[in-house]
Amino acid sequence: MAPYTTIPLSPAELSYLHTSLSQTPPIRPDGRSPTQFRPLVAETDILPSTNGSARICFPDGTEAIVGVKAEVERSKQENNGSTSEVHLKRDRRMEQQNEDMEDRDANEGKGREGWVELAIEIPGMRDDDALPIFLSAMLTEALLADQGLKDALYINTRFHWRLYIDILLLSLPLSYPLPLLSQTTHLALLSTRLPALVSEQDEDPLFNDDWEASTYLYPKSNPSQTAQRKPPITLLVMAVGETILFDPSADELAVADAVVALSVTQSTAGLKLIALRTIDPPSRLTSGGIPNALNTTPVAAGAQQTALSSNEALKLRENDQGRSVWRPPRGGVKRVVLSRMIKAVVEEDGVGGEVMQGLANVET
Amino acid sequence: MPLDTSTYSLAHLRLDGRRWNELRRLSASISTSGSADGSSYLEQGNTKILCTITGPQEQKQGGARRESNEAKVEVEINVAAFSGVDRKRRARGDRRSVEMQHTIATAFQGVLFTHLYPHSTVVITLHVLSQDGSLLACCLNAATLALIDAGIPMSDYVSACTVASSPTSSEGDGVDATDPLLDLNGVEEQELAFLTIGTSGEEGKVLVLVMETRCRVERLEGMMAVGLEGCGRIRGMLDGVVREHGGKVLEARVG
Repeated sequence: MAPYTTIPLSPAELSYLHTSLSQTPPIRPDGRSPTQFRPLVAETDILPSTNGSARICFPDGTEAIVGVKAEVERSKQENNGSTSEVHLKRDRRMEQQNEDMEDRDANEGKGREGWVELAIEIPGMRDDDALPIFLSAMLTEALLADQGLKDALYINTRFHWRLYIDILLLSLPLSYPLPLLSQTTHLALLSTRLPALVSEQDEDPLFNDDWEASTYLYPKSNPSQTAQRKPPITLLVMAVGETILFDPSADELAVADAVVALSVTQSTAGLKLIALRTIDPPSRLTSGGIPNALNTTPVAAGAQQTALSSNEALKLRENDQGRSVWRPPRGGVKRVVLSRMIKAVVEEDGVGGEVMQGLANVET
Repeated sequence: MPLDTSTYSLAHLRLDGRRWNELRRLSASISTSGSADGSSYLEQGNTKILCTITGPQEQKQGGARRESNEAKVEVEINVAAFSGVDRKRRARGDRRSVEMQHTIATAFQGVLFTHLYPHSTVVITLHVLSQDGSLLACCLNAATLALIDAGIPMSDYVSACTVASSPTSSEGDGVDATDPLLDLNGVEEQELAFLTIGTSGEEGKVLVLVMETRCRVERLEGMMAVGLEGCGRIRGMLDGVVREHGGKVLEARVG
């Protein structure tokens, strides 16, 4: 079992945490507001042998490094003769715009999903364990939702770039590692550069030796350009009753009623939700406390102990409904709460935009 | 070709501008990771290694219980797929990694005071972020720093470096015309015959000596002499890093 699922908290502590988080406003163990993130250390371009790299450290000690490498690969020949379309789209008007914009319009729809490969390494886990596979599937799905990325990897009809994203989690996963890995990948992709193409059309690709001439995979903002592509980001959001909390720490996850992973990306009209996945909260693995009525230890000498049958004991627990003692949460999450979560992330000055802005500032 | 006779004999400078006995830029820091018992990050030229230590901890339950009065040192080397020039995913149990892991584990088994921690295990995890020659040597240096950060007592630093037998792969010139080269980078390692030497202590007790290529036996003594001197210099640098960190910790405590 992953380390983050072993929770060293007693039922009393869990009940206390749950109650404090259910207040309005919620009282978090470290005093943060519901939308406040923990401070992190981030750096980019740390590995000179990669096309792009980034490292993020969270304050609880978890650390991740992502390296992005690109290699030229021969494309499988497809039967639809699309070369004529390429010539038609090369309009003189387009040449005045940003060079990337021109390539993108000419290459629209040419990218393929198989050109992006993502691999996650978590120490202490084999490559075929559930966690690395699940995480890599979630991150890849969010990345490939953007056709612009795949199109940026197109060179000509015979060759394309193959993008390898290798994620290294450097410490044992003390809390669910998804947001850390997603933010580090986002940062690494922002700093990824591909060599500038010098050859024309369908000849063998030839690139400019000067690294300064290389182009960014996700181009920087241009005042004349309105749409700026950005890599996606996946945030972890948890719900306790009606309260929603962002960037939950391991303690808070231990008492969550529901945990959701939201993937968002930048589009022309602000942020767009790509995927929403529910995560099994570790609170389901905790054991419930024992109500006083079921307490079988003798309290005082001479007190009568009536042993309850198993049916009666069960009925007593069910009626208690976790009010007097801690009980692992059951059931799903209300739709109203889900829609509030989505809105909080995607809205104009929402959490998603704040995180993206924060990561973009690491670059400059 | 990189190290053919003509260019070297002109100014006796290697491709990166170093002379025969110059080390690459070595920079290291310890206590880089908060969650591990001990950690360090070491860069020797473009070879970058991150090391974390967990332990001494209880023996794992699986398998036969080891009856011993000493701690066991286990090493895990994790070479990142983006570390080389080409992207290559290495399988976990491949022969080279297993051999390096065994070499490092044996070296530290002799240096650490394992009798202080019976029935326990010390796990050294090395993450190779970038490879450019002298991999085994850098792993040993990084592991030394991380073990010191973890507070596991050891008899002395283990410092290691690589030495090549001569600047050219051809032995055309006379034996006396060429010097052994110290601290090889990736390109030089592929071209020349070299050995990795790891020593401990000021007097230079040799703990690790690995050579996978071949050279004439009369050159060995010269190579080892250069290697011992290089290891001594690296030991001084590692010591400097530890003292600097210690100074910072002391200042933070005492103010």
